[in-house]
Order: sequence, then C-alpha cells, then structure tokens
Amino acid sequence: MKDRISALMDGELDDTSASQLIDSLGRDGEALQAWRTYHLISDAMRDGRVLSDGFTARVASRLMAEPALLAPAGLQSEPRKWFALSAAASVAAVSLVGWLAFAPQREARPPQVAQASVTPLKKQPAIVPLPSATNDYLLAHQGFSPRASLQGMAPYVRTVSDQSQESTK
Amino acid sequence: MMPGRALGVAIVLASGLAQAQSPEALGWLRKIQDATQKLSYRGTFVYQHGGRSETSRITRYVDAGGDIDRLEVLDGVPREIVRTRDTIRCYLPESRVVKVDRRTAERDFPALLPERVNALARHYDISLGETRRIAGFDCQAVTLAPKDDLRYGYKLYADVHSGMLLKAVTVDSGGDTVEQFMFTQLAIGPVSRDMVKPRQAARGWRIEDSAAAPARLAGWELSSELPGFHKVSELKRRLGESRPVGQLVYSDGLAAVSVFIEPLEGRRDPVRTGLASMGAIHIYTREVANHRVTVVGEAPAVSVQRIADAVEYRRPH
Repeated sequence: MKDRISALMDGELDDTSASQLIDSLGRDGEALQAWRTYHLISDAMRDGRVLSDGFTARVASRLMAEPALLAPAGLQSEPRKWFALSAAASVAAVSLVGWLAFAPQREARPPQVAQASVTPLKKQPAIVPLPSATNDYLLAHQGFSPRASLQGMAPYVRTVSDQSQESTK
Repeated sequence: MMPGRALGVAIVLASGLAQAQSPEALGWLRKIQDATQKLSYRGTFVYQHGGRSETSRITRYVDAGGDIDRLEVLDGVPREIVRTRDTIRCYLPESRVVKVDRRTAERDFPALLPERVNALARHYDISLGETRRIAGFDCQAVTLAPKDDLRYGYKLYADVHSGMLLKAVTVDSGGDTVEQFMFTQLAIGPVSRDMVKPRQAARGWRIEDSAAAPARLAGWELSSELPGFHKVSELKRRLGESRPVGQLVYSDGLAAVSVFIEPLEGRRDPVRTGLASMGAIHIYTREVANHRVTVVGEAPAVSVQRIADAVEYRRPH
C-alpha cells in the first residue's frame, strides 16, 4: 500500500488505480496517515511551505463549532443574518471540500495546469509517459543549455536520472 | 567573521532590496559564471524533483590543456558522465553502452558572455536575496524572476568568497519548487587528474556516437517564435543506435528548448501525441509531415507545447 501511495505522489499510477487508491485513502486511516506523512517529508525536503501539525483536525473542529444553521427556528425573524451566516459556512465548507478534493492530486496533477490559467493553451495536452528515448534526447539537449555556464555539469544528472523509472513504464 | 565583510554583505543586501535590476545582482551572475569556469572542485550534490531525490558526485579538473568534468550518479542504476574539451561520454555499465557526443566550438556557449548576462534582464528581474549557510559555505542568494509565464524562475545560492554555486532552485509561476540541485559537501581546490578518469574501462561495450554536425534542416521552421526564444543552433545527429534526427535549439539566454525531427519511414511504433514531464523538463511529441517531432526543454509546459505546435514543414523551392 505504501509503495502505491508513493507512486501516486509521483504521478505514476494510471487513472483507474489512482482513483481506487484515492477512494481507499478516504476509508483507511493508516493509509491516509501515510499519505500525510509522505507529503510532510516531501515538503520538508523541498523546503516548501508546510502546514502545521493537526491542521486538518483544527479546520474540521472549527467547522463543527460553527452554529447549526439549518435549524428552522428564528429564520423568519432574522432572515438577513441567516443568509450571511449560511453563505460564510458554505464558503468554509466549499473551501474544505475543495482543499480535500485537490490535496491528493497535488503531486499527480500535470504541471501545466497552473500555467494554463495565465496563458490559455489552445487545447489541454494529453499526458503521456516519458518517451523511451528520453535519455538520448536529454543527453543531446543538455549541452545547449546556457545554464551549464552557471552550473557546470550538474544539470547532466537529469540526462540519465530516470532510467529505472523509464523501464517500468 | 570580519566586521568589514559583514558590513559589505549588509550594504549589498540593502541595495538589492532597493532596486529590482541591481548591477550588484548582475555582477553576482558573472561571479558565479567565472567560478563555474575557473575553479577545480570535488563535491556531492543532491538533485530533487517531484518528491524524488538522487545523490551524485561531481569533480571538476581545470587545466590549461583542457578542463575535464566527471559526474557519477551514486543512487540507483550506476551511471557516469565525463566531459572533456571535445566530447561528452555517458557510461551505462548495466547495458554496457557508451554514448558519445562531440562538442563543437559553435555548441559551446562560450557561455553567458557579459553582454548576454545583461540581455537576461530583458526576460528576468534579477535581484539579490538573503544570505544563507549551505554545506558550510556562507552563500548569497540571487533571484531571477521571469517577466512572463513562458519561463521558470530561479534562485541561485553562491559562496560569497569564491562565487561557486552551492544551490539552484527552479520555481514555477505559482512559486512552487519544480526541481533543485544542492551541494551537501564541497571541497574547492586542486584535484588530481586521476579523479576525473572514467571508472569504467568500457572495453567491448557498444559505442553510440551521435556524429553531431551543424547542418541546415531545409524546410523546417517555426511558424512563430516564442517571445524571447531565438534559434541558437541547427544540426543533424544520431540518437541511440542509429536513428538520424535533425535538432533545432531555441534559447532565451538561460533556458533552452530543443526540437528533434525524425523521419517516420520504416518505423512501426506510432507517435503518441502529448506531454510528458520530469522535474523542470517538459517533452511534447507530435507528428508533422510524416515526421516525429519531439520538443524537449527546461521550460514550462505552455512554452514547450507552443513551440511544438509552431513546428511546420514547407517544401523548399
């Protein structure tokens, strides 16, 4: 299971396996915990922003603490207030749902999605596995990158870094 | 630490904050470039992308008779790349293959010449960032923020004394890290020639020579260039065992995108149109005029796809 979670984070699962696994994340407490831990490790390694421990639990408990808005009593007397509170709660709920819905796809999401909102692509490209000749292409390409003049040989690590991954695809 | 240096760093920092395109920041890019070229060193670095990380050892030997660089991947499948003045050799012990690529004068960007560093300012806001300690070195951060979403942003951390680049982070338009290189250990100073010798004897291995040579790819061009990206090279080469391909290279001075063009005749595997990615590298494949066109570059997906969509063939008259 943990291998599959790791594969999901790396975007290596096909759509069917990914959605099965995401479903099981919803059911399996241990799997969900592993999912969160892996992301925490990954965020820490990449120096990214890390949500504090127990963030999810705190958001959930705040939502629980919101007034029970669906109770019919008092609706007639204070319709405006009800509307405002309801809207606020809806936004909160939508935010949480949105956050939960998008969180598991963060790694699997093709990277062009973020770009697309700024410069719309003519069409959304199909996501395909790396070509079998990826290493040959990278080796041929790398020598032309002006970045080498700031970084020497280091970018060449990309040339061959995914050989093992490639063979599994 | 000497008080004078601390003051110097403080002044540099303050001026970096004051203006986006500081001459100091451009000066730092030149300093990094100088160090990359002139220093001998040996170190261990980690390459991270998409939750993966991989450790490599890198050694650079500077010599009047020709510099030699050696990169050895320490995790996973053993691999080694040695670059001399005229060749790049990639040793793959498991498949017993040596891939050889020739370097020509034209291909060696004599790197970012001073005027090219200045030209970078057309597409990037270049500024100084914080100072930070990395692998025991006090480092100065230099930020290159792209002026549009057609290129990535970079944060470079260089040793304040030597200018040696200790860490390089690539970020997308959302500010998320796409990939990063970071030294975890580094010794700057003379290395022996033995240290850059390939570990692999490679006797009896298959040699795949790219036979790359400048050439004109008649009829192939982009219907429109991507803003800031200009054609810097055009050549013919072989990929892998024998496939002949054409290669066009476009660059904005920092990022580069290659267009590979392969005839489809006699090939059975169908062209799968679409996008693949690995760290900051995007690869877009499509079919044009009975050729497989593969666009490879360290640029956002939108840039790679726009270049791929612009590739066209016009029968030369």
